[in-house]
Amino acid sequence: MDLQSGTVVASFYFLSSYSVTPCDFIDLTLSKTQRKTPTVIHKHYQIHRIRHFYMRKVKYTQQNYHDRLTQILADFPKLDDIHPFYADLMNVLYDKDHYKLALGQINIAKNLIDNVAKDYVRLMKYGDSLYRCKQLKRAALGRMCTIIKRQKQSLEYLEQVRQHLSRLPSIDPNTRTLILCGYPNVGKSSFINKVTRADVEVQPYAFTTKSLFVGHMDYKYLRWQVVDTPGILDHPLEERNTIEMQAITALAHLRAAVLYIMDVSEQCGHSLEEQMELFKNIRPLFANKPLIIVANKCDVKRVEELSEENQKLFKDFEEEGISVIETSTLTEEGVMQVKTEACDKLLSYRVETKMKGKKVNDVLNRLHLAVPSKRDNKERPPFIPEGALLRRKAMEVDIPKRKLVKYWDLMNKNEKYDKIPEIWEGHNISDYIDPDIMKKLEELEKEEDLREKAGEYESDTESEDEEMQEIRELARKIRQKKKLKILESKEKDVHGPRMPRTVKKVEKKTLEKEMSSLGIDMEDKSNSHYADQARRSRSVTRKRKREASEAPASRTRSSSRPPRDVSGVRDAKMLKKVKQMMKNSQRDMNRMGKKGEADRHVFDLKPKHLLAGKRKSGTTDRR
Amino acid sequence: MPQNDYIELHRKRHGYRLDYHERKRKKESREAHERSHKARKMIGLKAKLYHKQRHAEKIQMKKTIKMHEQRNTKKKDDEKTPEGAVPAYLLDREGQSRAKVLSNMIKQKRKEKAGKWEVPLPKVRAQGETEVLKVIRTGKRQKKAWKRMVTKVCFVGDGFTRKPPKYERFIRPMGLRFKKAHVTHPELKATFCLPILGVKKNPSSPLYTSLGVITKGTVIEVNVSELGLVTQGGKVIWGKYAQVTNNPENDGCINAVLLV
Repeated sequence: MDLQSGTVVASFYFLSSYSVTPCDFIDLTLSKTQRKTPTVIHKHYQIHRIRHFYMRKVKYTQQNYHDRLTQILADFPKLDDIHPFYADLMNVLYDKDHYKLALGQINIAKNLIDNVAKDYVRLMKYGDSLYRCKQLKRAALGRMCTIIKRQKQSLEYLEQVRQHLSRLPSIDPNTRTLILCGYPNVGKSSFINKVTRADVEVQPYAFTTKSLFVGHMDYKYLRWQVVDTPGILDHPLEERNTIEMQAITALAHLRAAVLYIMDVSEQCGHSLEEQMELFKNIRPLFANKPLIIVANKCDVKRVEELSEENQKLFKDFEEEGISVIETSTLTEEGVMQVKTEACDKLLSYRVETKMKGKKVNDVLNRLHLAVPSKRDNKERPPFIPEGALLRRKAMEVDIPKRKLVKYWDLMNKNEKYDKIPEIWEGHNISDYIDPDIMKKLEELEKEEDLREKAGEYESDTESEDEEMQEIRELARKIRQKKKLKILESKEKDVHGPRMPRTVKKVEKKTLEKEMSSLGIDMEDKSNSHYADQARRSRSVTRKRKREASEAPASRTRSSSRPPRDVSGVRDAKMLKKVKQMMKNSQRDMNRMGKKGEADRHVFDLKPKHLLAGKRKSGTTDRR
Repeated sequence: MPQNDYIELHRKRHGYRLDYHERKRKKESREAHERSHKARKMIGLKAKLYHKQRHAEKIQMKKTIKMHEQRNTKKKDDEKTPEGAVPAYLLDREGQSRAKVLSNMIKQKRKEKAGKWEVPLPKVRAQGETEVLKVIRTGKRQKKAWKRMVTKVCFVGDGFTRKPPKYERFIRPMGLRFKKAHVTHPELKATFCLPILGVKKNPSSPLYTSLGVITKGTVIEVNVSELGLVTQGGKVIWGKYAQVTNNPENDGCINAVLLV
């Protein structure tokens, strides 16, 4: 329930986790402190550690209590911040003073707990032993729990308020509303049951409805609220009890159409005069509200059957301009009429109010209804062709279409006027209407045979163009070659570990041979990316001819690979910079005579020049 | 939308589930087993708390059962015999009680002459200097140790101002200064939070008295104008002595008993 003047939303979900009794509250918080703060401490720890340990517990407990109480305070609505209808309703139901007092007590408790924690934390700073700090923590926690124990009554009261509050119906005070009022047992709840989907209890005893109920209905594509109130008896305002006061509150604060329901048959136990008295007494509440008098239970007694004086009363209403409608919620007579009239009245009233208001002009300024202006005085009515008119007439009248059925010659005369079905045993009847149908079927079948023989349904390979055929040819070749290769590799007898294919370098010759066997032209070498090995190998082999004894065992490193300090370097300028950087990083190390960047050996811990002489010992601050 | 008493309304219209009553009955009978299972399996602090609570419950139950049983049986009424009633063979010993009264009077007069007051806590543990006063080292090399800081709760009067920090020998930290005490009236059994007027005597040492150190057993003077006591002559009593009954440095508050 949104208590602000806004949209109607769901009921109070809050506080579902806060329904705690005081002793539960205390147990919860203390066990939480025990679980969530460190528990192990020893006498021999340093005193600041001991102090911190216990201070933490005190502060943690204080924080928990503070948070819980703040949440409670925040979730309960402040009577000054909500719509006056709800403020008044809550006053009626829960007594504003008691409510405010309870919340005030909670607030005080919260502040007291904060103060306790502050004091004890301050004291703990002077704790010089584990025992003392522990006792202080115990005292602090005990005090906080006592404060909560004292709030038991407030918390219980607030819990009850919360439960009741969550079940209040969500009435939007600003939308279109109809309020039903009247004596008890006149038929308000039956009315709302008829008109909306609300299921209010209807019983023959008075005060069946003990609080406000709301139902929703639709009219003119709009949503309407209908509020059912408990019955009001005729006594002055001071003597009214809580139940009646709820009805009065609704009447006083909701700007709605009022339906004053009267029991014409006097079955409710109150005479018509008494009902009139009540009406007069609460008339001031109906000021500025569209009003309709509903004469209910007219199935038992109609207004015409009443005595003269009573009928005169109703006539007075009519004269004043208040419409009186007879209804019976039992036979549903007049209920719709009441609904439409009340809704129309309220709508027009609301529109009027809005027009009188200030906001209308903002909207009206932007609205403009464009009407085409007349060109000349010629009449141009809409044109409907005659055929259409005739057809429409034909459709309206229920003419039997099959006039000639009586002349039909059927085997079984009784079947003449039977309705002809459309589908029978899975067959479509209209398929069999044609008398030549079997002949046609035979002809069709013959045609089909001919077509099949002509080969129309075979797959046509001639429709494929040259390209497709080539592709198919190629695919076939590739498949064949793949199978051959697989067989070859299976035949290879390789013992031992297999090197992956990418390790071995592919030679130019083998590459050219394979590609040419596949049909690719390898003569054009302008765009080739062959590695630059050819030239090098020639020069090396020349040298090798002089010293034939030495032959290189294996060239693990290709001589085409650049040395590390120039790999990745683009040009001479970059090379120079790189060398400079290297030298810079090594400079400090070398100056200190360090072996490397990880060498942290200190040679002289007590240098003589600092510790000798007149300033050698003592409390000199600088050296 | 569920409104007002929708649960009760539903119960009224549709009644309960067909097996509702049976299930309820069975659940309630199972509760005893579940409780005992829980009590057996619980461990730790939770278990201790639970067992304590359960023990108290059981004692209550046993008492009520016993009371019910007592009602059914007839017993000798103990209250009919008045207090102080003595069997016949002791009747002629009355004379001795009067002598006892006289000797008590003499003893009291002697005590008053000696100046010993009757206090609720006659004997208190003496607090040594190392316990009450902490040594504060000062100086550039932290060698001078003539300052002392009070580690117990103390009271300083209203017009108290510190000596210049360089010269003050005894430091009484602000965090440990208290102005109010919770004083219990022994006959009324009511406790009031009264402001302290001063420290009368600290049983451990006169030094502490002069410093205003409050430990267990200290006699303090409290402002009792709140209580509205009046002397026989019609004068309003506004100060009375009270003796401290707890260790204020451990509890963070001063609890005292009024000396009437």
